[in-house]
Amino acid sequence: MKTKHVIQAAVIAAVYAALTIALAPLSYGVMQVRVSEALTVLPFFTPAAIPGLFVGCLISNILGPYGLVDMFFGSAATLLGAIGSYMLRNKPLLVPLPPVILNGIMIGPMLYYVYSVPVPLIGCILWVMLGELIACYGLGYPLMKYLKKYRDIFE
Amino acid sequence: MIRDITLGQYFPGESGMHRLDPRVKIIMCLVYLVALFLVKDFIGFAFAIATLACVIAVSKVPLNFILKGLKPIFLIIIFTFTINMFMIGGEVIWQWGVLHITKEGLYTAIFMALRLVLLIIGSSLLTLTTKPISLTDGIESLLNPLKAFKVPAHELAMMMTIALRFIPTLLEETDKIMKAQMARGADFESGNIIKRAKSLIPLLVPLFISAFRIAQDLAMAMEARCYRGGANRTRMNAMKLGKFDFVALFLLGLFVLAIVMQPFILEQILEQITS
Repeated sequence: MKTKHVIQAAVIAAVYAALTIALAPLSYGVMQVRVSEALTVLPFFTPAAIPGLFVGCLISNILGPYGLVDMFFGSAATLLGAIGSYMLRNKPLLVPLPPVILNGIMIGPMLYYVYSVPVPLIGCILWVMLGELIACYGLGYPLMKYLKKYRDIFE
Repeated sequence: MIRDITLGQYFPGESGMHRLDPRVKIIMCLVYLVALFLVKDFIGFAFAIATLACVIAVSKVPLNFILKGLKPIFLIIIFTFTINMFMIGGEVIWQWGVLHITKEGLYTAIFMALRLVLLIIGSSLLTLTTKPISLTDGIESLLNPLKAFKVPAHELAMMMTIALRFIPTLLEETDKIMKAQMARGADFESGNIIKRAKSLIPLLVPLFISAFRIAQDLAMAMEARCYRGGANRTRMNAMKLGKFDFVALFLLGLFVLAIVMQPFILEQILEQITS
């Protein structure tokens, strides 16, 4: 990995974590709309975003109140989502989709089984997906369109 | 608003827990979490609580500081507890109209709530007694064997370290941009949730540009100093397992053994009493 990519990934991670912390009460928990998830559109611009988002999510979850389980599953879901987004980078409309689906099918069951949230499993999944949908399509997709104008900063 | 945020939950101290090797602490925490899911009755939990109490005593982190960490999940605990209590069928012990509490419901409710509390306290002890930077070093070291599978352990740890360094800078930057945009008439607080999400764009775009400028400068500075990544790099503070780390791992082994064996031992005792 080139030094520049390592550093780009690091600042993406820092932006992700900073946004998660700055908007903290919304970012954690069952009823979360994690605004930083909008950054999951970044693999559209640079592959450095894949480790960047993973590390950002990992740090946010280390600093957050949910502990080790969230650190593991949350970060894994973000990593797989970012890889998915990167693979779909030629279809801009679908770029924010993988994180929505993967967070739903990974974090939903986590809330259900580990934190024993007493809502039916499918409810947990749809609930997480809804939060992600707002962050990824409500904010992420427009963000992607605006950032296209500044593409050169990613090079 | 952003200025009052303390980064992470680290509680500075010099206790035995603070001085344990971060790798040992991560392993202990992982094993503890798995062990909690092996517990099937309250005797097991009593044992876990006793162990946790000892660890808290050693760590010298004030109890109210730890309990404060439970505040964000308090709602979930109450919610889970109530639903479990009223929804599970069985032997009714209290009834009022359509609401009823069953023996099984109460048992499950207490069991689940207790497990959740123990889960959160246990894992927050790790972040309370370990600096984020040591945690990063620990994770890097534990990921090292995965290098064989092409996991870029060093790069990931480097990213974490740099990100941790820049979070406060970027928080400040976020604050500044927010104020600048508000002075220009941006509105971050009204409208429905989608409108509010969209209103963050004038914040995110400048934040990105500024962050990537930092990245460019930093990458150039590092390359000018011949940074080449993980190979042959030495550390100023190398991690080394000490006497206490082995003691801690030994105690951890005893804890797991006790949790796993506890139902069998209990059975034997009960058998002896009845025979």
